[in-house]
Amino acid sequence: MGFETSLYTVEAVILLDNTGKRLFAKYYKAPHENAVEELIVSKSRQLQFEKMLFSKTYKQNSDVLLADNHTIVYKEFTESILYVVGSLSENEVLLYNVLQGLTGAFEILLNEVDKRAILENYDLVALAIDETIDDGVVLETDPSAIAARVTSAPSEDATDIKIDLSERGLMNVFNFAKKNITERLQQGF
Amino acid sequence: MSTSTYKRFEDPESGVLPDKMTVYQESQRAFRASPIKAKKCRRLLSQLVHLLYHGETFNKTEATNLFFSVSKLFHNNDPSLRQMAYLAIKELCSMSEDTLMITASIMKDIQGREAVFKPDAVRTLSRVLDGSTIHAAERAMRNCIVDSNQAVCCAALVSTYHLFPVAKDVVRRWANEAQDTIGAAKSIVRSPYAAQGGVSGSSRLPQSTYFHQYHALGLMYQLRKDDKMGMQKLIQQLTGSRRLQNSFATVQLVRYVGVQLANEVQVGASIDASATRSWPLFASWLSDKSEMVELEAAKVVLSAQLARVFTSEQQMQAISTVSKLLSVPRTVTRFAAIRLLSRLAVSSPEKVRPCNGEIEELVNDPCRSISTYAITTLLKTGSAESVDRLVKIIGGFMDDITDEFKVVVVRAVGTLALKFPDKHRVLLGFLGDALRDEGGFTFKNSVVESVFDIVKFVPEAREDALKLLCEFIEDCEYTELAVRVLHMLGEYGPKASKPSTYVRYIYNRVVLENSIVRSSAVVALSKFALVGDQKLTLSIEVLLQRCLRDVDDEVRDRAAFALHLLKEADGSPEASARTRALLDPQTRFSLASLEQQLCQYVRSDDKASFARPFDASAVPTCSVEDKLAEQLRQKMQGEGEIKEGVKAEMKDEIKGEIKGEISEAGGETGAAFGETLTTQAQQEAQKSQMLVYARELATLPQFESYGDLLHSSQAVELTETDTEFVVRAVKHVFKHHLVVQYDVCNTLKTLQLENVTVIGQLDSDAYQEELSIPIQLLRPDSKASVYISYKRPDSGYDAANLSNTLSYVAKDLDEASGEPAEDDEGYPDEYQVEDLQITPADFVIPAFTGSFTAVFDSLPNEEVAVYNLGSAESTNMQDVVAKVTRTLGMLPLEGSARVHSESTHTLKLFGTSVDGAKVGALVKLILSSKGAMMKVQVRSSDADLSLLLANVWGEN
Repeated sequence: MGFETSLYTVEAVILLDNTGKRLFAKYYKAPHENAVEELIVSKSRQLQFEKMLFSKTYKQNSDVLLADNHTIVYKEFTESILYVVGSLSENEVLLYNVLQGLTGAFEILLNEVDKRAILENYDLVALAIDETIDDGVVLETDPSAIAARVTSAPSEDATDIKIDLSERGLMNVFNFAKKNITERLQQGF
Repeated sequence: MSTSTYKRFEDPESGVLPDKMTVYQESQRAFRASPIKAKKCRRLLSQLVHLLYHGETFNKTEATNLFFSVSKLFHNNDPSLRQMAYLAIKELCSMSEDTLMITASIMKDIQGREAVFKPDAVRTLSRVLDGSTIHAAERAMRNCIVDSNQAVCCAALVSTYHLFPVAKDVVRRWANEAQDTIGAAKSIVRSPYAAQGGVSGSSRLPQSTYFHQYHALGLMYQLRKDDKMGMQKLIQQLTGSRRLQNSFATVQLVRYVGVQLANEVQVGASIDASATRSWPLFASWLSDKSEMVELEAAKVVLSAQLARVFTSEQQMQAISTVSKLLSVPRTVTRFAAIRLLSRLAVSSPEKVRPCNGEIEELVNDPCRSISTYAITTLLKTGSAESVDRLVKIIGGFMDDITDEFKVVVVRAVGTLALKFPDKHRVLLGFLGDALRDEGGFTFKNSVVESVFDIVKFVPEAREDALKLLCEFIEDCEYTELAVRVLHMLGEYGPKASKPSTYVRYIYNRVVLENSIVRSSAVVALSKFALVGDQKLTLSIEVLLQRCLRDVDDEVRDRAAFALHLLKEADGSPEASARTRALLDPQTRFSLASLEQQLCQYVRSDDKASFARPFDASAVPTCSVEDKLAEQLRQKMQGEGEIKEGVKAEMKDEIKGEIKGEISEAGGETGAAFGETLTTQAQQEAQKSQMLVYARELATLPQFESYGDLLHSSQAVELTETDTEFVVRAVKHVFKHHLVVQYDVCNTLKTLQLENVTVIGQLDSDAYQEELSIPIQLLRPDSKASVYISYKRPDSGYDAANLSNTLSYVAKDLDEASGEPAEDDEGYPDEYQVEDLQITPADFVIPAFTGSFTAVFDSLPNEEVAVYNLGSAESTNMQDVVAKVTRTLGMLPLEGSARVHSESTHTLKLFGTSVDGAKVGALVKLILSSKGAMMKVQVRSSDADLSLLLANVWGEN
């Protein structure tokens, strides 16, 4: 057994719900290499893998397992489970650190981590995972640092017409109208 | 709240998955609209990535369209929209075409000052670019690497890492920037757009997490890994005054140092200097503040490859670090620690033994993987004295665990029984309880297999074990298991002291079971008729007569067949021998070659070949004892090897957890006993290798009269593997001849060899050269064989030294045509290769025997020799054992290939000579401060052989 020298540490990040259905799944491969592994290429193989994971981990409470030639660390939330998958020889504590980074970031970003929150804030979840792992390379594992990189959705569309109903706002509208009408009148006559 | 949102909250399937086509069409519209509505677009992007991460795919046209519309979003400058757009682009990149068109927009962001999406832009760029377009971004990337914002710097380093395989030269140019980064200070910038969560106010953002060190180090390794000195310098710098602050980076550095050491071990360089140099580093890593660094350092120090680099005190220090990790609160760390120890326990149980106290506490760990590992480790490290206690602990534990884990435990107990034959009573008791317990098929099957192993390999426990099996089939719900047990009873029952006791159990099956079990019971019964006890034979015949009235035709057929054979056996001795061969065969077909030959037969294109029926007598057979030898070898190899082979087919059946452990154990042992196992693996390979040789030799008419190939030695390299001509030699032994096969490989591109032969000179008169078959033509980059045959003396196995010179006519090749010039006559040349030793071991075939001591004691002609191996420090017990095994060419038995103590060891070896003489060797090794001594005691039915083997080291 050789030593892992590659930075491609994480093989997959998976979020499943409490029935074992996929909420998020990303199997990583180096961007400039062609993947040959079945687990990366074939979706049915992935679903089979996830089914196996779920059956082995749901309500088991043990944080880590070896399955199908992978080391898997996981964390169970309300109605959902987050998995971080690495190779069989990967340092388990290192993987767990990545998992903790992600869970910590989720806890900061979503008030309460459960299935509904994940689905309703899917952009935040996807961004948090993207800011933690870049195609298998770990970018950051500090929860607050990850969360700080994730932007929230724009609060409102900037181009929407704002109607200011305060007294001053009304005055503005009135003045705007007055000016426009004056101009029209001058042009017309 | 509008009606639509109200409904959304009610519907349980809401938000689960947006409709693919709706998202597609809405995206096309909204992203191209003007002005762009940021909030709406971000929601759409969110749905889009949801689809992608759910596994939905778009076809090429759709993906390209989407890609283009997303690129339109660059008209809007909202940072949160831009970040999401980058994520979508990154995911779409691999599916769509013409991704390059977006480069300009990305470059603008990279050169810009907006810290929020700059890192995302950098990372996206590495997906868009490739080896030919990277130049455009070179300057920008370098600037990003030196950026003081940690996120930008990391993004640039990781992107460079991704691009390295396709643009090695370009990336090499920015090595300096990368190296400077390792020491540079980078800080995390808080973004004003960061998502506001409930806790975010209170969460403190660290100054820097130093992750850039990890990425820069990873990149530096890619750049420098082939430059040994450069790597060493880098390691020195990073372990000197400026230490790495990031744990990930430190873990990575630990691995690099490990790889360096492993490389040095591999090339065989003197490792003492580097070992002394690197130990202080490991010592400090072993007490690092981060668990992952401690774990990684321990992994490296305890790895099998580096077993010889670190002294046992140093390894003990690593083990004490690991044992400390066994009691931390974090499950993952405990798991990793016990996993490491259990792996180590396969190869060196004595090193793990001091931690047994800590490990025992883990037996009741709430995490089941941990408790199972703890038990199996204890079973591996257990000494003969602790077996009783251990079995008691496990006994109390068995009811609480699932079948899956029980299988692991049972398997470990089975191995224990082979290791400590004296303890069979306790262990059989445990297995007996397990058999009586409730359990599924896989569990029962593993128990039965463990009992089978005891029957086969622990002669003193055989009758107890058989008795257990008898009881088991009285109440067995699995037909398959009953059949296997009956076969086992038929095989070993007649050899027991009172065969008749088993007959009742077997006949009960004939009365009570289904037809499949009945028919196998009939076969088992018939074997008892051959014991030689007249009375028993008569009773069996009566029982078989009754089976003739069975309702099932298979049962009737088998009974009739057996009866017929038994009746014939009363006649002449030949007929009786024939009966015995058919009812109780002592040889088995070698299944691999049977399969191969059958395939060959069936696939034959020539119709004429089907005129003759398949000739089974041509298939090599091996005796039952050989078969057992092979099995035992596999069992002893960390119990994993066989299962590993099966693993591929049974992927889904064997549960991952066990499989993980097994494959690991297999791999680890393989590495740990590198040399011992190579001999063993080679022996296994040799069987099939011999078939290949036999076939090759059969094609040469010159050797037709030599008869069957009796034994082929392992290939011996006569040159280094990187010289211009690579020569390997194999010695083939025939009844009256010795054929040396030289495989010559021409690695030169521009030279062609003709009339290649080997001039061999022997220093002994015992062998007379008879004929040689040269290679007529050896093209560049090709391989062929020279054969030289010697007549060997009818008796005796003389040792000899064969000095070899390669002789040939060389012709230079024309580069353009690749052919030699027509008028080139070539020039004769010679090439000296190393000498080949012919040793007595070449005439010995490794073989198995069930009870070594009994056979050894019964052999006459004892020869004893004592050798001094020099100073003890320079001698590694495991190496010596491997070397002795190889030199004597015999099979290590009773687990003696594995060294349990560094000071004394007894090696038991067994084999048969090509003439069929049995030979056993008992080698006692003592390593003490006074030096290393070896006593070789050889016994054989052939006096010459004993003498030769005992004195095999005499000459040198």
